[in-house]
Amino acid sequence: MSSRQPGLTRPRRPRPSPFAAAGLVGLAAVTVLAGADWEYGIGFSLVEIWDGLTRANAPMRGLADIDLGTLLGSRARSGFLETLQMAVVGTVTGATAALPLALLNSRLGAPNRAGYVAVKLFNNIIRAVPDLLWALLFVAAVGVGVLPGILALFFFSLGVVTKLTSDTIDGIDHGPVEAARAGGASHPQMLRYAVLPQVLPAYTAFSMYCFELNLRASAVLGFVGAGGIGAVIDFYRGQGQWDRVWGVVAGFLVVVIIVERISALVRRRLL
Amino acid sequence: MIRFTHASVTYPGGVAALKDLSLDIAEGEFVVVVGLSGAGKSTLIRTVNGLVPLSGGSVEVGSRTVGDLNRSRLRALRADVGMIFQHYNLVNRTTVLNNVLMGRLNRVPGWRSMLGWWGRDEVERAMRALEVVEIVEKAYVRAANLSGGQQQRVGIARALAQEPTVLLADEPVASLDPPTSHTVMRYLHRANRELGITTLVNLHFLDLARQYADRIVGLRAGAVVFDGPASAVDEKVFERIYGRSLTADDVLEAEASL
Amino acid sequence: MTGAQQTRRAADERLRRAVRPEKPFNWFRLVVTVAVVAGFLLATSTVDAHWGRLPEAPAQLWNILGLMIGELALADLPDALASMWESVAIAWLGTMIAAVLSFPLAFLAARNIAGPGTVVVTRQLLNIPRAIPEIIFAVALIPIFGLGPLAGTVAIGLSSTGTIGKLSAEIIEGCERGPIEAADAAGASKPQRVRWAVIPQVMPEIVAFWLYRFEINIRASAVLGVVGAGGIGTMLQQSIEFRQWGQAGMALIVVIVVTIVIDAASGAIRRRIIRGPSS
Ligand SMILES: Nc1ncnc2c1ncn2[C@@H]1O[C@H](COP(=O)(O)OP(=O)(O)OP(=O)(O)O)[C@@H](O)[C@H]1O
Ligand SMILES: [Mg+2]
Repeated sequence: MSSRQPGLTRPRRPRPSPFAAAGLVGLAAVTVLAGADWEYGIGFSLVEIWDGLTRANAPMRGLADIDLGTLLGSRARSGFLETLQMAVVGTVTGATAALPLALLNSRLGAPNRAGYVAVKLFNNIIRAVPDLLWALLFVAAVGVGVLPGILALFFFSLGVVTKLTSDTIDGIDHGPVEAARAGGASHPQMLRYAVLPQVLPAYTAFSMYCFELNLRASAVLGFVGAGGIGAVIDFYRGQGQWDRVWGVVAGFLVVVIIVERISALVRRRLL
Repeated sequence: MIRFTHASVTYPGGVAALKDLSLDIAEGEFVVVVGLSGAGKSTLIRTVNGLVPLSGGSVEVGSRTVGDLNRSRLRALRADVGMIFQHYNLVNRTTVLNNVLMGRLNRVPGWRSMLGWWGRDEVERAMRALEVVEIVEKAYVRAANLSGGQQQRVGIARALAQEPTVLLADEPVASLDPPTSHTVMRYLHRANRELGITTLVNLHFLDLARQYADRIVGLRAGAVVFDGPASAVDEKVFERIYGRSLTADDVLEAEASL
Repeated sequence: MTGAQQTRRAADERLRRAVRPEKPFNWFRLVVTVAVVAGFLLATSTVDAHWGRLPEAPAQLWNILGLMIGELALADLPDALASMWESVAIAWLGTMIAAVLSFPLAFLAARNIAGPGTVVVTRQLLNIPRAIPEIIFAVALIPIFGLGPLAGTVAIGLSSTGTIGKLSAEIIEGCERGPIEAADAAGASKPQRVRWAVIPQVMPEIVAFWLYRFEINIRASAVLGVVGAGGIGTMLQQSIEFRQWGQAGMALIVVIVVTIVIDAASGAIRRRIIRGPSS
């Protein structure tokens, strides 16, 4: 304890690997380039944020005398109904289409290597397009209204549920798969009896999670003309009636939290 | 019933798991295969239903040569050959009955099985298979809620629901405690005796093998080093199979008395 | 007695002993199925969606995609890349704001660290930004910071704080008790316990989640421009609105490619962080 033992050299403190060190330096550089006040930076400044937030401004004044009565108005009521309808239709259709796609998007379910790669690429592209961008595209394609909103949520759900479900399929127990094959099951039968029962609870949970995402998304689709409560928020914002904007947002908050609670209860029962 | 003729298996990567193996198993026999880990026991069993393809020679089951079958014929063969696994390979999240019905997949039209519309007749057969292993009262329980021994009985029922002519079992008791091991072995034995199913079992414990087998086949490095009646297995034979003398670790009863 | 007879008798005997169970009825499944189907049918039939326009949607979309590819011009690429870089910058800095804000809050929201009162209050505080989409934060911040990326960055930062905080709290609650007890046994103070027993356990997972959230925030920041909060969204919206399909196509391709590339890179780093250094 008191003296160093002869013959034993103490190990040196290992240096970080050059790869990790370069990575950290790179991330720091990106941060500086992104935040600095130059042509390609966003000019991030805590002082400016502080000044902005402490200065008197319309949104904050509106928040102070928030108008919850707006929620009772017919405009807000029909907006909420529309949001709910869009989220339900978009989620049910998108999640339903996602189940077969998820099977094709997994190593176990894909009929062959080429099909697997093609489906994976398709899914990655779908997932890379944000919800609001889908809405922009569909508003251009079919005009403003609820329909482009539903179509946007359909594709958004398709991407999310497919990805989560196929990741689950890639991680399931292969024992039953082998048992199905040893019992003479065909490929579709194997998927139906050895894979599906294993992933169905998770798939249902993902679909419900996706419903929550869609509910949140459908609050903003209205900003590009795709219906729902977003259109109402955008309307009051355009009029500068921030008290009403916050009233609607508060109502939306309550709806989302209620749905989340119910969904959490059902999911706990499922898993 | 099952005939291996100069069968060999070389896995990708170059491991020769079976080397020029010839073996003849008669109808209704209860054969136990023993050998060291890596001797090729699993490989041998899996070539019978084509889960592992041969790289040379042939395996025949009845009048069918496994390697020559096309995909749908191979599935039909697999339906006639039941298989039982070390880790049971049940779908944990679904009921015992649904697991057993998996044994009927090849016997019903594809579209009906995809919709899950099982006829009364199919359910009846599955129930009867569960009755053979005396676990029918658990038919609507989730497989995950059963003990290991019960799960293996469901595994046997799934194989029996196929109404097979051959039963393969790859270390069916390796994950079970000694008394449960005996129960499971008794059910296999009963299936063989009462239903006349030709049975091929891999086992780890020699005493268990001696107790139940008509015939014991010793494998070592992919070749048969012993083939004879259970009564002919003695210390010498053991050394031939395992390359060392018998120790307490090699018999189940010794473990049970620990 | 023949073998077959013996078999039959043995089987009969067992049949008499065993009682087949009744198939239990799954109420839960029935209720969920009926609720989903009824909700779907009700929503589909009552929503004012002009379903008549649905059949023409695929052709229209196909048409637009054709125009986008057809009118693609390399001259639009530098602009698209610069705007996308702004989106990435917004997502990156926004995620960093959220990481900094959420880190202390996460410990206050973890039941194995903070007292029950603190946990409840902090969780509610985290719930609010989690339920509100970034775009709504952005429209409220634009009158404060003016049009531009700063509003977007703060919007992303605030709204991600809720999600990251909640998930980090769950990760902290899932950490092993052993090291905490060991630290206590060594006479550690409460902050020391967090610093030496909890943080080393949870840091890899929390950092991995920051990165995951960054991937999601890229998608959010790519559309913030729709309300004027910076990034490539402005370009997307205006080119689509004014039917400049070539430019819209270029912006769309840049968004997709950059998102996929960042997903792949970030995913690889996340896996490496969770796995730990290889030695
Ligand atoms: N899929 C595979 N790919 C490559 N080599 C394999 C594969 N399966 C088995 N092997 C090799 O083939 C040889 C025989 O394996 P096999 O599984 O048949 O042995 P076993 O007698 O069943 O052993 P155990 O008692 O451990 O189950 C071993 O050397 C093994 O490493
Ligand atoms: Mg084996």
